[in-house]
Amino acid sequence: MTAEPPAAAPARRTTLIARVESIFDHAADTRSLFLSLTGGKHQRFVPGQFISITIPLNDETRSRPYSIASDPKESGPFEICFNRVEGGRGVAWLFERQIGDLIDFSGPFGAFTIDRAPAAELCFIAEGTAIAPIRPMLKRALASSPSPKVELIYAAPDREHILYAGEFDALARTAPSLSYETVIAPAEKIYDRLFELAQARWVTADADRTRHFYICGVGKGVIRLRDLLRGAGYERRSVHYEQW
Amino acid sequence: MAKLRIQFENGDPEKVIEFDPAKAPFHHDGKPGSILDVMLGHGVHLEHACGGNCACTTCHVIVKQGFNKLGESSEQEEDLLDRAPGLTPTSRLGCQAVIDDPDAEIVVVIPRFTINQVSEAAEE
Repeated sequence: MTAEPPAAAPARRTTLIARVESIFDHAADTRSLFLSLTGGKHQRFVPGQFISITIPLNDETRSRPYSIASDPKESGPFEICFNRVEGGRGVAWLFERQIGDLIDFSGPFGAFTIDRAPAAELCFIAEGTAIAPIRPMLKRALASSPSPKVELIYAAPDREHILYAGEFDALARTAPSLSYETVIAPAEKIYDRLFELAQARWVTADADRTRHFYICGVGKGVIRLRDLLRGAGYERRSVHYEQW
Repeated sequence: MAKLRIQFENGDPEKVIEFDPAKAPFHHDGKPGSILDVMLGHGVHLEHACGGNCACTTCHVIVKQGFNKLGESSEQEEDLLDRAPGLTPTSRLGCQAVIDDPDAEIVVVIPRFTINQVSEAAEE
């Protein structure tokens, strides 16, 4: 091998092909694609996992992860959810997909999952489209018998970007073990608000350190929350997180 | 020049990359100068399902030589490695393990399997 980099590395092996069955726009900048395997089989995954989509960009391909937002127990297409990001070429390509288009992907992948809910209070924290992996995890937790006490804190810069709002409202009405709360704050303040909330509710309010946390979001705010909770005495393996 | 020797548990031929760490990044995924960045930038494939964002363990490598020459691992990397079957005391995530010493000679083994795929087969 030489010291000078040659052309881009070969693309990762593609293992599966999905067809875009339908498209749903949550907001002008936030979309879901509903995908089904071209072979007719049901895509299996564990709540919280993502698929790695092969994005063709001019003369190269890139692999980009997208969390699965649907419930693996549901039949029919599975759902990925994403939003426009400044300079994000992969997501721009996804926004151009139309019904009937084919998408190459591999997976599912990821260890930020709930297969069987732990027998402890579960606290889910998400912001924006990072609700995608949390949504099936929450359903899996609520389907456990007996269902543990479950809390969902969901933050966004405005009501329009609280995704699946009707569904979560309905779950909160029908699932007695679920407590659901939204946090609306300017984008640059979201993690400050979540930090304050977490500190007040799960650090200073009581000495219970048996809760399990599942945090998903973008940027260093996720790490701040992790450090707050672990620093307060929650076990390292009880504070689960996925930072994008 | 730094040297990265890559051995494959599946029997693929060994690859050797000589490179100048000061010229990083070599590609666009993983930390600049990371094992993933060096490999991809020199045409050697390494799985990285999350795009090199430290969100999975598909770029898991086992460092056989030069472990102490690599940049320190973060808590986030350690958390992920914690969930990786096949973990060894010298495991690293390729996307996070940065080689910045121009005299480093690193030897890594790429495990045979992608190890964090989870199936629901047991429930069906």
